Amino acid sequence: MSQLKYDDPSDYSNRELSWILFNKRVLSEAKDKNNPLFERLKFLSITSSNLDEFFMVRVASLKDMVNAGYTKTDIAGMTPAEQLVALNKVTHELVEEQYGVYKSLVSKLLSNGLRIIEKHEKLTEKEAAYVDKYYEENVYPVLTPMAVDSSRPFPLIRNKTLNIGALVKKKNGEGDLEFATVQVPGVLSRIVEIPSDNKKKTVILLEEIIERNIQKLFLNYDIVCAYPFRIMRNADLSIEEDEAEDLLKEIEKQLKRRQWGQAIRLEVEEGIDERLLNIIEEELHIAQEDIYRIDGPLDLTFLMKMYGLNGFDHLKESAYAKPQPIPAFLPECDIFEVIKDSDRLLFHPYETFSPVVEFVRQAARDKDVLAIKQTLYRVSGNSPIIAALAQAAENGKQVSVLVELKARFDEENNIVWAKMLEKAGCHVIYGLVGLKTHSKITLVVRREEDGIRRYVHLGTGNYNDATAKLYTDIGLLTCAPSIGEDATAVFNMLSGYSEPLGWNKLSIAPLWLKDRFLFLIGREKENALAGRRGHIIAKVNSLCDRDVIEALYEAGAAGVKIELIIRGICCLKTGLPGIGNNITVRSIVGNFLEHSRIFYFENDGKPEYYCASADWMPRNLERRVEIMFPVDKPKLQKKLRAILDMQLKDTVKAHILKADGTYEKVDKRGKGFYNSQLEFCHMAQEAARKHEHFVNSRVFIPETHHE
Amino acid sequence: MAVKTFAAIDVGSYELAMKIFEVSRVRGMNEIDHIRHSIDMGTETYGTGKLSYERVDELCRVLREFSAIMKSYQVKDYKAYGTSAIRESQNRSILLDQIEQRTGIVIDVLNNSEQRFLDYKSIAFQGEGFQKIIENGTAILDIGGGSIQISLFDNDTLVSTQNMKLGVLRLQERLNHVDASISHYDTLIEEIMESQMNVYKKLYLKDREIKNIIVVDDYISALVNKKGDGGAIKRFAGKDTVEHFVEICRTKSLSELARTLDMPEDRMSLLYISMIMLHTIMNSMGAELIWAPGVTLCDGIAYEYAEKNHIITSSHDFEKDIIACAQNISKRYRGSRKRSETLEKIALTIFDSMKRVHGLGKRERLLLQISTILHDCGKYISLANLGECSYNIIMATEIIGLSHLEREIVANVVKYNHLDFDYYETGGDLSFLDEETYLKVAKLTALLRIANGLDRSHKQKFKNVKISLKEEKLIITVDTDKDITLEKGLFGARADFFKEVYNISPVIRQKRMQ
Repeated sequence: MSQLKYDDPSDYSNRELSWILFNKRVLSEAKDKNNPLFERLKFLSITSSNLDEFFMVRVASLKDMVNAGYTKTDIAGMTPAEQLVALNKVTHELVEEQYGVYKSLVSKLLSNGLRIIEKHEKLTEKEAAYVDKYYEENVYPVLTPMAVDSSRPFPLIRNKTLNIGALVKKKNGEGDLEFATVQVPGVLSRIVEIPSDNKKKTVILLEEIIERNIQKLFLNYDIVCAYPFRIMRNADLSIEEDEAEDLLKEIEKQLKRRQWGQAIRLEVEEGIDERLLNIIEEELHIAQEDIYRIDGPLDLTFLMKMYGLNGFDHLKESAYAKPQPIPAFLPECDIFEVIKDSDRLLFHPYETFSPVVEFVRQAARDKDVLAIKQTLYRVSGNSPIIAALAQAAENGKQVSVLVELKARFDEENNIVWAKMLEKAGCHVIYGLVGLKTHSKITLVVRREEDGIRRYVHLGTGNYNDATAKLYTDIGLLTCAPSIGEDATAVFNMLSGYSEPLGWNKLSIAPLWLKDRFLFLIGREKENALAGRRGHIIAKVNSLCDRDVIEALYEAGAAGVKIELIIRGICCLKTGLPGIGNNITVRSIVGNFLEHSRIFYFENDGKPEYYCASADWMPRNLERRVEIMFPVDKPKLQKKLRAILDMQLKDTVKAHILKADGTYEKVDKRGKGFYNSQLEFCHMAQEAARKHEHFVNSRVFIPETHHE
Repeated sequence: MAVKTFAAIDVGSYELAMKIFEVSRVRGMNEIDHIRHSIDMGTETYGTGKLSYERVDELCRVLREFSAIMKSYQVKDYKAYGTSAIRESQNRSILLDQIEQRTGIVIDVLNNSEQRFLDYKSIAFQGEGFQKIIENGTAILDIGGGSIQISLFDNDTLVSTQNMKLGVLRLQERLNHVDASISHYDTLIEEIMESQMNVYKKLYLKDREIKNIIVVDDYISALVNKKGDGGAIKRFAGKDTVEHFVEICRTKSLSELARTLDMPEDRMSLLYISMIMLHTIMNSMGAELIWAPGVTLCDGIAYEYAEKNHIITSSHDFEKDIIACAQNISKRYRGSRKRSETLEKIALTIFDSMKRVHGLGKRERLLLQISTILHDCGKYISLANLGECSYNIIMATEIIGLSHLEREIVANVVKYNHLDFDYYETGGDLSFLDEETYLKVAKLTALLRIANGLDRSHKQKFKNVKISLKEEKLIITVDTDKDITLEKGLFGARADFFKEVYNISPVIRQKRMQ
């Protein structure tokens, strides 16, 4: 038995670089010829919006640290400056790869009947006439051209917007070259369809139309050249909270001294006039290495809109079934009876989210329900859950809702809902000071004949009926008194009251959850050391908490078999000396976004299963309110184990983390094709079909005693 | 459906707590919610005599929230009790009225013995576990912020209870003055405790053997009752466990301690003090086991409610405790057991035969009984000032289970058994009582005087009396062949007051034994 310590930075990976690898895995889906063409567009679009967010949050945060003179090293021993250097190299590579994929997709689209006119110069006469007319009627009225000269300062270029910069010269030939710019309006669709005679569809991007007509904006000038450009600013002051709190304060202090919204990335079209580039570069104080010269249209997120074009359904994914009805929840069933009958485990998006919506809806109408309490993190527009909560308050139920305003990029959305709920008479808590409430829990207090009964829904995903069709998540519906008691205590704590004297079943972050994980991992280690079998299977989105990783290393070194299914960031390395193959990591990037967090601990033959709202990240374990709940009914445990086992069997969408830090798809030799997400669909369909058969059958089926 | 929802609110000196219960005859008491809010009212009240405006605002805000929570559970009844922080506030009435106006919640104030009795009740309602543990020598250690209460059991009856000003908050404050570092707390606390415990041991414990200590508090209980894996609770801890905890407390810093025990750090200092206190007391008594049922005042409030409404009953006889306590006090002051018994018998016989006339109930009968037991305790100090001295002894001695007012009744009945009655209207010693209580004192005094008169010679000549009520006469038939001239002669003066109160003349008839 080795007694190695795993506290050297070289035993860990940098989280940003690991994230880039994740985005590359998404990109590999865009490359994958086995995916339908339009799905590949979607994956490419996702890599682009992912990268934008990464810049605004992570890169911006690193730049802040560098500017603040912060030199503390990360988990992998890298200073912020070192990280930026390393990132710069890989992000440039990533962008290049993106556009390589884009090019190949464009030609495939052409052969599949969709022509993208990449340069306005390539328009036919007829098309050009249409485009110019479109410009006159739709585009011109919303444009605001801005020229720069001695009397007019350099205009504010907005974060993430697409702009066309131009060099212009007075018509009379006097004076120097001047800079002019116009923003490509966000209110218009970036993709403009051009009517065509044949069956093929033809589209052009809005910026090309503007570029073609830019002369009309600057009538007194000659246009020397015009090129699109786009900047990313460090606009949001909410620095990523993963670093220590005192650091945050320090950075905020530094920030105040600095000008607002430093530009951190500049994207320009390849071949841009160097004189034009120099002006932009200088005015925005952007460093050379932060300039991305792009061979193709800037900002690929328009591909998501492209995906929505009519007439290409045959090029979209159809193998995955839509969310299936769950046999236990018949239409118009009494949801409380169903839960009372037995705990229910829901597996979205393969199984429908509607029981959860229905749970809140029925609670709102049910005369015996006294109170509904819920935490909301991200909700969909026009959410039926919000409507039901408002309804409940109007029906005189006591409704308490914690709306997390700090959910990133959703702030505005959430304020609107929160105000609406308040108007309806709900008690709304707008988050907790210093903590994000990331837990997903609903409590319904119902007065029944034999007293109060509490119904609880706990989940790994948000109460968002839209994303529940795209994200894989687990939900538990139960009325077990021990969990009901804990749920009540959770809401008491969220309302600002003291912590309960103890917990029955739930583990709550930031106070207890991390210790609980360390205990559970440590117990496996002890078992392995004592010669018993130790086995952990964990499925999370990210793993970058140092203490957890160290505990896993130690358990692995002690002989515990650790199988990790980690979609995104993973700072743990595989194949370390003394651990070898005891720890394996696989990442599944597929049609649905893997989002559920499931944990299995062997516990010397008495296996324990948990699900949680938290990842193994410091921010989840230390600065958020999160909940982990056990699943202890054998039938439900079986279902969870099946889910984990199927993901471990995946040969189509799984990538394996190798000892050199790279990811590689599973070697299919001798294993055949096994796409776990597809199998989950089949499983849910099968269950629904069996039930349908039962309902439609004319043969009576006697009920026999079970359990 | 006989499930009632009840809310118990404890306005404590460092915490506002509310428990919501479902109470039903079939399923007993079932706690469904426990809400706590930390608010330090004690420090302000103890220090300045009043609560600050900000504190009152906070108090009212939380009480309004409590009120909303009650509404959400459709709570039918509630009871809110304030303890020492409210009790010791100089402008208590104004404060309570203000709270009622602003929150709609009426707070009643508990005095020490009432509060301890509620704690005791909540322990006794733990049922079998309790009955079993008190089969062996047992003490209850009730640790509060301002004082601690030690109550002793003899067989299965509670016989004595003593209050000591050694509450955890108070000790902490005292230690702050000493300016001792936290690592010296243990020796200092032990010193303070031991001196008091030695006196206690000599006077009260004597040779009683105490094996078990029942702990009522917020800190040790929280620790002992920590839910283990899967929500299992131990509640019991042996001497070694306590010593183990003390050792942890001694050797770790407060923040380490908080981590080790998984409890909030701000509770650690008080836990530490409580732990050392418990350890010292365990050592001094030679106890081997502690039982921390984890009850709080809220539980006591709920049991009181459930008992009053005949929803649940306890198997423990609380009246027996009260009587035993009184007998114990009488014994301490060398009261005559024989004479008390005679007196008790006569007085209760008269009481029972006059139910229709005096209209008093079971509880007053108990008070009369206690009065007969304690009727002569003052003579231990002064034969001449028997009345005053008895009054003072009774008022200075806590009897768990009797409210302060009830103790006042007993003390006055005993006092006016010996002294001339002070009428309400003349502004004497009784004028601070409310009228109802005053009348109870008068009625019970009249009864005790008669009984006392019948045993003037203290020779228990009137062991067998028969009492009958005939029109305006109370016929007392004595079955004795002894000479009762003395009694008959002195009876007149005692009978006057009786006649005045009841408009009935007591008459003695002697039936000579054949």
